[in-house]
Amino acid sequence: MVNQSKKKVSTTPIDKLHLEVNYMRELASTSPLKNVGKRGVSWKAPISNLAVLVEHRFLVRNLVRREVRGKYRNALLGYGWAVIEPTLLSVVYWFLFIMLAGNPDQHYAVWVLIGVIVWGCFGKSLMSSVTSLSGNTRVIHLVYFPRIIFPSTAMLATIVTTMMSSIVVIPIIIAYGFPIGIHLILIPIGIFIAGVMGMALGLMFAPCNCIYKDIEHLFRFIVRAGFFVSPVMWTYEMAVQRGVYGEMVLWNPMVAPITIARHGLEGKWPEMPAEWLAYTVCVTILFWILGNIIFRKYEPEAVKHL
Amino acid sequence: MSETVISLENILLKFPKKQGLFAFIAGLVKSNKKFHTALSNISLEIHKGEIIGIIGTNGCGKSTLLRVISGIYPPDEGECRVKGNISLLAGLGTGFSSHQTGRENAILYASILGYSEDKIRDKLPEIVEFSELGEFIDEPIRTYSAGMKARLGLAVASAIQPEILLIDEVLGVGDPTFKEKSTNRIMEMVEEAGTVVIVSHSFGMLSKICDRIVLMEKGEIILLGNPDEAIRTYYERAKKGKLEENE
Repeated sequence: MVNQSKKKVSTTPIDKLHLEVNYMRELASTSPLKNVGKRGVSWKAPISNLAVLVEHRFLVRNLVRREVRGKYRNALLGYGWAVIEPTLLSVVYWFLFIMLAGNPDQHYAVWVLIGVIVWGCFGKSLMSSVTSLSGNTRVIHLVYFPRIIFPSTAMLATIVTTMMSSIVVIPIIIAYGFPIGIHLILIPIGIFIAGVMGMALGLMFAPCNCIYKDIEHLFRFIVRAGFFVSPVMWTYEMAVQRGVYGEMVLWNPMVAPITIARHGLEGKWPEMPAEWLAYTVCVTILFWILGNIIFRKYEPEAVKHL
Repeated sequence: MSETVISLENILLKFPKKQGLFAFIAGLVKSNKKFHTALSNISLEIHKGEIIGIIGTNGCGKSTLLRVISGIYPPDEGECRVKGNISLLAGLGTGFSSHQTGRENAILYASILGYSEDKIRDKLPEIVEFSELGEFIDEPIRTYSAGMKARLGLAVASAIQPEILLIDEVLGVGDPTFKEKSTNRIMEMVEEAGTVVIVSHSFGMLSKICDRIVLMEKGEIILLGNPDEAIRTYYERAKKGKLEENE
C-alpha cells in the first residue's frame, strides 16, 4: 500500500533518476505485509512438514534434549533406567511364559526383550503424539511455531531413549555368542519404523484429543492391548506354525519391525516374505500421509479448545 | 504517514462451545454447531513506531486479539497481516524444564521464542547478567525460587529485540526491587521496539506511554482514540453497565 508512490512527471533525467532511486529504496524497506495465521495447504503437509523440521532444527534439538534429559534426571541410576526397565519387564514375561507354556526356546528371554524395546518405542511415540497438542497448552498459548514440531520432537526423543535401551544387546551378543555384523543395523531400522508409525498414527487423533480427552484413554488401552497381538511374548515363527489363525495376526503392521530387529540380532536378514515387509512400509507411509494431512487440517480449530 | 506494520481487516474469530457426548453425536447428524464469538469486526491499522494500548473488561478479547496478531489463532474470517518479526511477551518462563540448569533453560526458552542459534550465543552473557542469578545459573531450575524463575524468564524474553512487541500484562512479578527493574526493562524494550501493542489494566502507565488506545467490549472495538478519551469512555461505560445491572 505504501508502494504506490505518487510520481510526478519530472523534467530532467537527473530528477528522474533520483525519483527512481528513492522508489527502489522504498521498495527495499517495505517488504509486503505477511499474512499471519494462514496455514499451508494440507495435502502438501506430508512433505512440507519435513522441511519445517529442517528449518527449525535448532528448536527441535533443544526440545529433544529437554525430553531426554528430563526423563532420567533425579534418578540415582539415571540413564541406566533406559536399560533396566525393559530388562526387568522381559524377566517378568519370561517367568510368566515358563509357567504357562513350559519349556521355551533358549533365546526366548532375549526375543521378549527385543519385543519390549521395539513395542515400547511404538507405544511411547504413539501416546506422545496423541497428547502432543493437549500437553503443550502453555507453549501453544505463548508463541506460534509449526505445531508438527511437538509430536516430532516427542518421537525423536523416544527414538533416542529407545536406542539407549538397545545398548542392552551388547552384553546379550557376547553372552549368547550371536554373530556381530552388518545385520545389527536392522535393530535401529526396526526401532525407527516403530517410532514413525506410532507418531503418524497418533497425528490423526491429536487434534481430536484437544476436544475429547477420551481419545487419550482409548489409546492407552490400545497400546496395552496391542502388546498381546504383537510379537512381544510370541514370535513371528510361532504365529506361522499356527496356520490360518496365526497368519491373521500378521496383518498387524507392528509384526515386521519387531521381527526384523530380532532377526538382525540373531545375525540374519529378515526371514519374512517380502510382501509382509512391503506391507509394513506401505502402512507406515500411508499413516504418515494421512496423519500429516489430518493434523495440518484440523490443528488450527482444535487448538481453540485448549 | 508512516507505513502500516499491522493490518487487521474484519477479523472474526469464533470459539467452539464445549459439547457433551450426546450433543456431539447430534452435531454429526445435523450441523447445529454452537459457537461464541470471541472477536468480531475487528479492523485496525497500526503504523510503524506507534505504541497502542488495549483496554477493556476481563474476557472482552484483549489477549485473544494479541494471539491472533502473533499467529496463534488463525482468524475465521478476515485477514491479519503483519510486517516484521513479532514477539508476544506473556507468561514468563513457559516451557522451563525443571531438571535442566538455568543456562540450558535459557537456551531452550529462547529457542521456543524463536531465536536463532547465533543470536542466543550472542545474547547469553547479557541474559545471565540481567537475571542476577550468579552461580545459580548452572544449577537445575527446580532449586530456584519463583522469583528467580521469573527473573530468568524476563531476562530471556527481554533480550529479544523484535520489530513488533506485544505485551500481555507481565508487569509486576517478584519482589519490589525486581518489579521496578522489570518495569524499567520492559519500558526499555518498548522504546527499542519499533511498534508496541500493550494490554494492561494500569491506565496510568498506558496514558503516559500510548499514542492511541483501543477500547474493546465483548470482542468488538468500540473506540479507537487518544488515551484520555478512551479511558474516560471506559469508565463511563463501566458505570452505565453497573447501573443497568442494578435496575
